[in-house]
Amino acid sequence: MPINIFAYQHGLYPRSERVVAATRSLDRGRVDSGAVDEAFQGDQARFVEVQQQAGVDFFSDGLIRWQDIFRPLSEAGGPMRSAPLVRWFDTNTFFRAPDLSQAGAAPSPAGAIVPDRTVPRPAVLSLPSPYMFSRAARVGSRDRNGVMVDVAERMLAPAIKAAADAGCRLVHLEEPWLAYFGIESGAWAPFKEALSSVRTPGVTLMLHCYFGDAARYLEELHGLPVDGIGVDLVETDVAELGTRWDKDLLIGCLNGRSSNVESLESTVELARRVTDTVRPRNLYLSSTCELGFLPTTVAEQKLQRLGEAAKRLKELVSV
Amino acid sequence: MTAVLTHKALLTHEVGSLDKPGWRVKAYAGQALTDADIEEARSWGERLQVPDYQKLLELLRKVPLDKGQKAELQRWSSLYALRLLESAGLDVVYDGEQQRTEMYDWAVSHSEGFERRGSVRAFDNKYYTKAAVTGPIKLRSPFHNAEFSYLRGFAEAELKIPVTGAYTIGDWSFDEHYFTRENLLEPVRDRRRKRKAARRQFILDIARNVIRPNVQELLKLGAWWVQIDEPGASTEADELDLFVDSFNATVEGLDGMFSTHLCFSDYNLFFPAIERMSGCRQYAVGFANYDSRELGTAEDKRPGYHVIKKFRDLSYRPILGLGVLDIHSDFIESPELVRDRVLYAVKVFNDPARIHVMPDCGLRTRSWKVAYEKLKNMSAGVALARKDLGLGS
Repeated sequence: MPINIFAYQHGLYPRSERVVAATRSLDRGRVDSGAVDEAFQGDQARFVEVQQQAGVDFFSDGLIRWQDIFRPLSEAGGPMRSAPLVRWFDTNTFFRAPDLSQAGAAPSPAGAIVPDRTVPRPAVLSLPSPYMFSRAARVGSRDRNGVMVDVAERMLAPAIKAAADAGCRLVHLEEPWLAYFGIESGAWAPFKEALSSVRTPGVTLMLHCYFGDAARYLEELHGLPVDGIGVDLVETDVAELGTRWDKDLLIGCLNGRSSNVESLESTVELARRVTDTVRPRNLYLSSTCELGFLPTTVAEQKLQRLGEAAKRLKELVSV
Repeated sequence: MTAVLTHKALLTHEVGSLDKPGWRVKAYAGQALTDADIEEARSWGERLQVPDYQKLLELLRKVPLDKGQKAELQRWSSLYALRLLESAGLDVVYDGEQQRTEMYDWAVSHSEGFERRGSVRAFDNKYYTKAAVTGPIKLRSPFHNAEFSYLRGFAEAELKIPVTGAYTIGDWSFDEHYFTRENLLEPVRDRRRKRKAARRQFILDIARNVIRPNVQELLKLGAWWVQIDEPGASTEADELDLFVDSFNATVEGLDGMFSTHLCFSDYNLFFPAIERMSGCRQYAVGFANYDSRELGTAEDKRPGYHVIKKFRDLSYRPILGLGVLDIHSDFIESPELVRDRVLYAVKVFNDPARIHVMPDCGLRTRSWKVAYEKLKNMSAGVALARKDLGLGS
C-alpha cells in the first residue's frame, strides 16, 4: 500500500526584524499597539506566502503573536502575576511557568488561538501537550497527573473543537518534555485519559516528542489515543523506530536549532529510509522542533527545503 | 581597586546592562527626538548631577549626528549610567554597557570568524542578535579598552568590568565551521560524540583566542576586577565541565580578581563541576526571581535561596554575589525585603565578608526609573542588614 506523504511547519515561528523592532519599541513606550499589529500582520502574510511557495499540505499562522507556547492558554483568566521565567529545555529561550495551582483550569480562550481567515485551509494548530503542560506549570500542592487531565478537558479540548470548527484539520501537540526529561510509569494512564478527552472528529492528532530520544518509549506511545507520533531525528535513530507502524509518523528531519540548511538529497534519502523500513500509514515531514530558534531568513530556507523534500518524496513513493 | 574592598562585608555592586535611554537610541539611529526625549535627558542629568549635562542637550539638538558626535553620545550615555549606579549608592559600578550593542553581539562583532545571522527571541519581546561561526576565531581588536579608559576618568566608585564568557558566546552562536554536516542516518551516539567534540573545540577557541587576550588587554590598562558573564553556562547539563574548562582557560595565570555571573538556571547543576573553578573568587548569582516576596529570614520564607549552601561549601571559599532584585518585574523590593534576603544569606554563610549584594542580573529590561528605585532600595536594605549585624555603615 502506498504511503501518503505530507509536510507542514509546527510550533512557534520566528519574528521578523520588523516585528522585533516594533515589539521592542512597544515595550519602551515608543510606538502604539497599532504599529505592532501592522508588523505582526506583515509577518503572518509573509509566513503564509513562504508556506505556499514551499507547497506544504497544512498551513499555520506560526503562533507569531504568542509569547510562548503556553501563554494564550495560561493567561485565559487574566495576565499571570510574577510568573517566573524558566529555561525552555537546553535552549537560550525562556517561558513563563503557567500557574495551575488553583483547582479547575481557567476556561479555554478558544477563539483567540484559532488561526484567522488569512491562513489558508486546511490549517494546523500547534498546542502544548497536556503532559508537558502539567510538568512545566506551577501546580502548588495539586497532583500533576490530575492537572494533566484537567488541562486537557477544560483548556485543550475546547480549543481543539474551536479549531476544528474553523477549518483546522490537524492539531500538533508539542511534547518535548517526555523525550527530554522522561515520564514516570504512573503517568501513562492519565496521559492516555487526557489525550482521549481532546480527540475531535475530523482532526488528525499528532503528538510530537522532541529534544530527546522518543524510541525508548515507542511501545507506550503506540498505545496512546493519537493518530500519529512525531520524532526528532537529530536525537532518535531511524533504526530504532521499528517497522510497519499502524499509526502515522512525523519525522523531524530539518534541524530547527542549526543554521546549516540540510541538503535536499540527504533529506530525501533520510525520509526514503523511513518509508522503506518503518513503513508508517502516513508520513509527515517537518522540523525537529519549532523554528523559533532561528532568524527568519534561515527559517524560510528550511521551510523551502521542507517543501522541496516532500515534493520529491511524493514523486518517489508514487513510482 | 584593592582586595580590601572586595572583602568588604556586604559590598554592593551592579551586574551588567541597563536600558539605553530613548534619547540615546533615537539620536544614534538618526531619528527625530521629541520634547519628552530631551526632557528625559535633562531631568536625569539634573537628578544625577551629571557634570555639564547641558552639553548633552546641545548635542541632542544637532541630530542627525556624525560619527564623532555619535561616539560622544555613547560616552554621555555611559556617564549617565555610571552616575545612576553611583547615585543609587553602590560600592562597585560600571556603565550599564551603554557603549556596547549588546553583550553577545559586541563580543562577536570584534572577533574574526563570526557572521551575523539575525535576531532570535529569548522570551516575551526580548531578543538578541545571533551570529554563526564561519571560520577560524581570533580577537580582531580589544573591545572593552576604550570604555574602561573613559570610565576610569569619571568613576567615583570602584569599577568592575563585565565581559561575556566563552561558553555563553559559543552556546548562543550557530556553528557553521566546526560541525556543519550532520548525517542523520548515522547512529545518534556517533553523531552526538562528534557534535560535542566540535563544540568543545569551538568554545575553547573562543576562550583562548578572544576572551583571554581581551582580558589581558584590560589588565594592562590597570583593570583588576573582571566579571565573566555566563548566563548560558548551565544550558546543557552535560557540559558543565566544558564551562569550567573555558573559564579556567580564560583566566588561568592572570593577575586580577575574576568572578563569574550566572543567572536563571537550576544552580544545583553547577555542582560538582565548579569545584574545579578555584580561580573564580566570586559567584554573582540571581536568586530573587525564585524567591517569595514575604519578609522573614527563616528557611521557609526564603525558598529562592536554599541552594546557596552549596556555594558556601566550596573548598576554595569564594564570595557569593547575592541576587536580591528580580530584574524581570517592576516590583520594587522594599529595603526590608532586601535586608531579610541578605540576613538569611549571612546566617547560612556565617560570614558577612563572603556575601556581596546585587541585582539578579543586568536591569536592561527595566526602565531607568524602576532600576533606580530598585537599586536605591537595595542599598538601603543593605544598610539595614549592616545595622542588624553591627557592621557599621
